[in-house]
Amino acid sequence: MKRVKPEDILDAVGMVDDKLIGRAREGKKKPFFKRRAFLPAVAAVLVLSLGIGLFFGRGRLLLHAYAIAEAEYPTMCPYPESQSYSKELEDWLDSREAQLSGYDEGMAPDGFFAESIREFLSERPGENCAYSPVNVYMALSMLAELTDGTSRAQILGLLGIPDIETLRENASAVWNACYCDDGWMTSVLANSLWLNRDIRFHKETLETLAETYYASSYCGRMGSESIDKALREWMNQQTGGLLRDSIDGLHLDQPTLLSLVSTVFFQAEWWSGFPKEKTEQGTFYAPAGEVTCDFMGQKEDDTYYWGDTFSAVQKGLRGGCKMWFILPDEGMTPEELLSEPEAMEFLLSDGVWENQKRLSVRFVVPKFDISSETDLIEGLKKLGVTEIFDGRAADFSPLIRDTGEERISGAQHAVRVQIDEKGCSAAAYTKLDLTKDGMPLTDNIDFIVNRPFLFVITSEVGLPLFTGIVNTP
Amino acid sequence: MEDEQIVALYWERSETAIRETAAKYENYCYSIAFGILKNREDANESVNDTWLDAWNSMPPHRPFALSTFLGKLTRRVSIDRWRRYTAKKRGGGEMAYLLSELTECVPAERTVERDWELSELARTVNDFLLSLPEEKQRVFLCRYWYADSVSSIAKRTGFSQSKVKSMLYHSRKALREHLDKEGF
Repeated sequence: MKRVKPEDILDAVGMVDDKLIGRAREGKKKPFFKRRAFLPAVAAVLVLSLGIGLFFGRGRLLLHAYAIAEAEYPTMCPYPESQSYSKELEDWLDSREAQLSGYDEGMAPDGFFAESIREFLSERPGENCAYSPVNVYMALSMLAELTDGTSRAQILGLLGIPDIETLRENASAVWNACYCDDGWMTSVLANSLWLNRDIRFHKETLETLAETYYASSYCGRMGSESIDKALREWMNQQTGGLLRDSIDGLHLDQPTLLSLVSTVFFQAEWWSGFPKEKTEQGTFYAPAGEVTCDFMGQKEDDTYYWGDTFSAVQKGLRGGCKMWFILPDEGMTPEELLSEPEAMEFLLSDGVWENQKRLSVRFVVPKFDISSETDLIEGLKKLGVTEIFDGRAADFSPLIRDTGEERISGAQHAVRVQIDEKGCSAAAYTKLDLTKDGMPLTDNIDFIVNRPFLFVITSEVGLPLFTGIVNTP
Repeated sequence: MEDEQIVALYWERSETAIRETAAKYENYCYSIAFGILKNREDANESVNDTWLDAWNSMPPHRPFALSTFLGKLTRRVSIDRWRRYTAKKRGGGEMAYLLSELTECVPAERTVERDWELSELARTVNDFLLSLPEEKQRVFLCRYWYADSVSSIAKRTGFSQSKVKSMLYHSRKALREHLDKEGF
């Protein structure tokens, strides 16, 4: 016979490099993730507040400060402690499968992700900045449910979705595809509505939000200490306490009709962590001058990506998530890089990219813990969502029974991202001396992130959970 | 016990070497053998054969990574056992599936000389694997080196089963193109 047989390939595979074999099953001998272990984490929270309205005292007292519609989160089977084949393992696999079953790539609102990332990460050049595209997407999707007419059309237009039914299907699939809480890795999206007890709301809309967006609704007396406390407790709980500093300053003021709160909490270990003993102090070349910080380092075979104006590597996280480190070429800032279509295309490519090569990469990245707060209003207006901010034009009829001149008066977005040797999401400015347009000439690359860089944390299906710029670690 | 000490015991011809190896690597080797043979008794026999092969191989070998060395022995022993069984028509096991899947990588049109050096093919496959992104590389090797089932790979990696299947499909397709390009 004069052709390669499957058995030949099987034998050939049996002869591959030892180091490839050794790491293929990394993590086998011990669980990837100790349940409840404290890991580095990121969290993001977004609050959209519906502002002053006309209805004080007009509606009857509908509800007290208790939940009127509560979301039922998917029940995920815990990651089995035992490595052996078992029913627990089957159940766990089934529950993971169920979360992803409704999602396909066409549901990703790439246009919105690209436009909003560019807008919200470019607002404060030279500063650290972080933004959660999936988080704002969920908040805007819910906002679309609360609106009608042009108000809704503008939101759907920004999200690139033709109608509310498609939005429901997509948003629900995105929510489920990003949600994982199995003790192995955590990626929890949560939504809630905080309602003024003096206002009459359409219960059907709240039920739709609970069913489709897993949104819980709470009702109470705005301006009271107790509802502020409840809101903060709920938000701190949903974000693992990571945004406590920001959350503790939040209030539900008396004129507020409704606050819509959407959160994302994410924790995962690196597939292969950074050895602690290799962490050492070094200089990061921030826009404001040199900064001394801890740099983590490792050297291993890795895929190196490049474009005309950037280079990048990714670090795998448990549960199929990834963190991408995108280093602009020298002389270019991360903010400038965001305006390059090729860079944005890469940012959302999830690694499906022509210019890539497997290399031995010495990867050095600073440990960092960055926080960022953004007022979304101006950015959303620039992106074409204007009517919801205009009390005379906004249409909130699906939400409120006796409508008047309601408008969105506040839209805050806060994000914190931290990475260390064990895991989570990270940013790295990579300092990379390489040939701009061509394939790297060597098989060894130093990827030294010692100047401002971009990062993206993607979900298992490649959705951008978090993005950011680190100008100063 | 550290791997280096275990290897030293083999070189000293101390029978403790096998006990220490079994204590540390029995589960690992068993999982490889069971993945291929899908039969407890046969897997146990393969693991015992592995200890014997290890005893006969050290010296002269002084493996740098003992786990990989033992894994390779187990894999070879288990595949040999499986081949003997299929020759006797005693069942297919996971290997039958693996081979059926790998037929997709075999170039359909062009033929190659029968005496192609396996080492040349192995080098080409190795180059191909090195060109894959790390996750795909791991998934591929879990399936075709360790003979892990798709569900087991999904468990290990955290990917869904459908994603694992999709990654394997694309990798096989890419391997076929790579082999075509390299003249196989």
